[in-house]
Amino acid sequence: MSSREADRKPRVKPGGTVATRRGIGASAGRIGTLAGTTFLQLLRMKTFYFLLIFSILVVVASTFNVLHHTGEQHLKLLKDVALGAMSLFTSLFAIVATALLIPSDLEDRTLQTILAKPVPRYDYILGKLCGVILVVAVSVVVMDLIFGAVLYAREEMMVAAELAGATESGGFAEEDLAVLEERLRSQGLNWNLQNAVAAIFLKSCVICAVTMLVSTIASTSLFTIIVGFVIFFIGHLQSVARDYWMHALDAGLWKRLFSGLVALIFPDFQIFNVVDGVVAGEVIPLGAMTRMAGLTILYVMVYSMVAYLVFADREL
Amino acid sequence: MSEKKTAAVSIDGLTKVFRGALARESVVAVKELSLEVAPGEVYGLIGPNGSGKSTTMKVLLGLIRPSAGRTAIFGVDSTRVESRRQVGFLPENPYFYRHLTGRETLQFYGRLCGVGRGALRARIDELLELVELGHAARRPLRGYSKGMLQRIGLAQALVQEPRLVVLDEPTAGVDPAGSRKIRDLILELKQRGIAVVLSSHLLEQVQEVCDRVGIIFNGSMVQEGRLEDLISIENQTEIILKNASADLLERIRDLAEGADAEFVKMGQPRTTLESLFLRETEGREE
Ligand SMILES: Nc1ncnc2c1ncn2[C@@H]1O[C@H](COP(=O)(O)OP(=O)(O)O)[C@@H](O)[C@H]1O
Ligand SMILES: [Mg+2]
Repeated sequence: MSSREADRKPRVKPGGTVATRRGIGASAGRIGTLAGTTFLQLLRMKTFYFLLIFSILVVVASTFNVLHHTGEQHLKLLKDVALGAMSLFTSLFAIVATALLIPSDLEDRTLQTILAKPVPRYDYILGKLCGVILVVAVSVVVMDLIFGAVLYAREEMMVAAELAGATESGGFAEEDLAVLEERLRSQGLNWNLQNAVAAIFLKSCVICAVTMLVSTIASTSLFTIIVGFVIFFIGHLQSVARDYWMHALDAGLWKRLFSGLVALIFPDFQIFNVVDGVVAGEVIPLGAMTRMAGLTILYVMVYSMVAYLVFADREL
Repeated sequence: MSEKKTAAVSIDGLTKVFRGALARESVVAVKELSLEVAPGEVYGLIGPNGSGKSTTMKVLLGLIRPSAGRTAIFGVDSTRVESRRQVGFLPENPYFYRHLTGRETLQFYGRLCGVGRGALRARIDELLELVELGHAARRPLRGYSKGMLQRIGLAQALVQEPRLVVLDEPTAGVDPAGSRKIRDLILELKQRGIAVVLSSHLLEQVQEVCDRVGIIFNGSMVQEGRLEDLISIENQTEIILKNASADLLERIRDLAEGADAEFVKMGQPRTTLESLFLRETEGREE
């Protein structure tokens, strides 16, 4: 008790005022507090329930082989379904979860009580963004674990079944069996899959940042969600459209200008599109992943900076 | 630069115009308003709805920008984040994170102010006791009544031991018992030497706690001064007697008239409906 008293003493100013930390630059403590509360908010809003839907989907896709695929095809399908669902769920979750944060703080006037404390507005934006990215990260890790476990279990079962079947029917040499197993295992659990999961996470970070920017301009969650979806689609389609326009022979100046403008404002989600390749067995080189991470950081920084500039001028 | 001499609040020629978007016309919410609040003083800003009280407070806390003029807290301009170190704010009809418990709410705001861990724990216990919410500290705010929200809001405003608190309509929508608790708390703050700026359109409440009041109408200050000076009727005296006979009263009346004083009024004082309500409900709640 007395040692705690002694601990506290230096923090108390002569006026009886609890000393506050000195600088009012960005503070990791404040951002952490805001991020932690945001995490708790999304946790207690039970937003994590979507993970349950994901688990059911993966388990169903792994259990029922409706199309009577071979083992190899079935594993491939399982990966396709699971990674596709993970990508879609994470993106949608990122939009919705982010859109719930700032507009509801504004509406409830909770924001007034927060900013009436010595909290710079960039700390608030960064805290919210870190909180929602943390939630997304936890979701991705959970989905990855569920997916990994199911895929591994399925793979082991199939290898055992096929080997047993082949031995029973006879006529297979040792090497043939090894080739068979090798082929199955190539579609099973491997580290390259983590590249796809990482790409899914990085994409969601960009989605969170761009949705946060929208929410600093908008006044309702619904509007933010709608605009978030529109950006999501434009972000996916823009590179296709750009390629088309750029390569079309009659690409006029205005079309080039327009697609250039779109490319400048909207994120290009095509750069994160590695899931199909990974499922097909393409190995993503480290350099490509590093570049993807670099672009993500760039996008997140630019969008949060613009979000801050918009938000700094906002009247509450 | 002695701290004693710096005003807790100084508002100097404040004007706030809300620019109307598109076809809506602009609203002048506050017009060249000036006022000062000394450290330790309780100041009441009174005026009808829409007169600019909340707008003035928001500018003071840096939540909105002034169109002209400047505001400062203990000499630090409101546009600077540092100005908010020494102030606690309770907005009008506040809402806090409903998913947090009372204790977590205070922890959240305390950490935002950078209060250290050990100090914060002790401070929260003290505050919960002060606002009488110890019993509800572990419940989420979702289940709090209006009066409880208002009190947790007051505790939140006090978490870093500020030297000034700004309360926007602290008793609006709260029942009389809850509203009296809040008044008692304000008096307690006054005793601790904390300056208070509060707004209200309920005049009796302001009358009970404020040292000084400003009456604001359509964004302009129309009257300002010490409460006693503003409301005492200097040439009248009140006498209150208990068990006086009709005969005695008659003699007093004669005496007064014989002594060149005008006899204005005599009758039984009435208790207010509020004190009647409080007397009847006291001790029955909780
Ligand atoms: N954000 C805003 N945009 C436009 N007008 C506003 C805004 N906030 C307040 N007003 C207007 O400013 C005036 C003063 O409002 P307010 O300060 O809330 O009054 P009070 O708190 O005294 O009831 C009102 O006419 C109100 O309609
Ligand atoms: Mg108001």
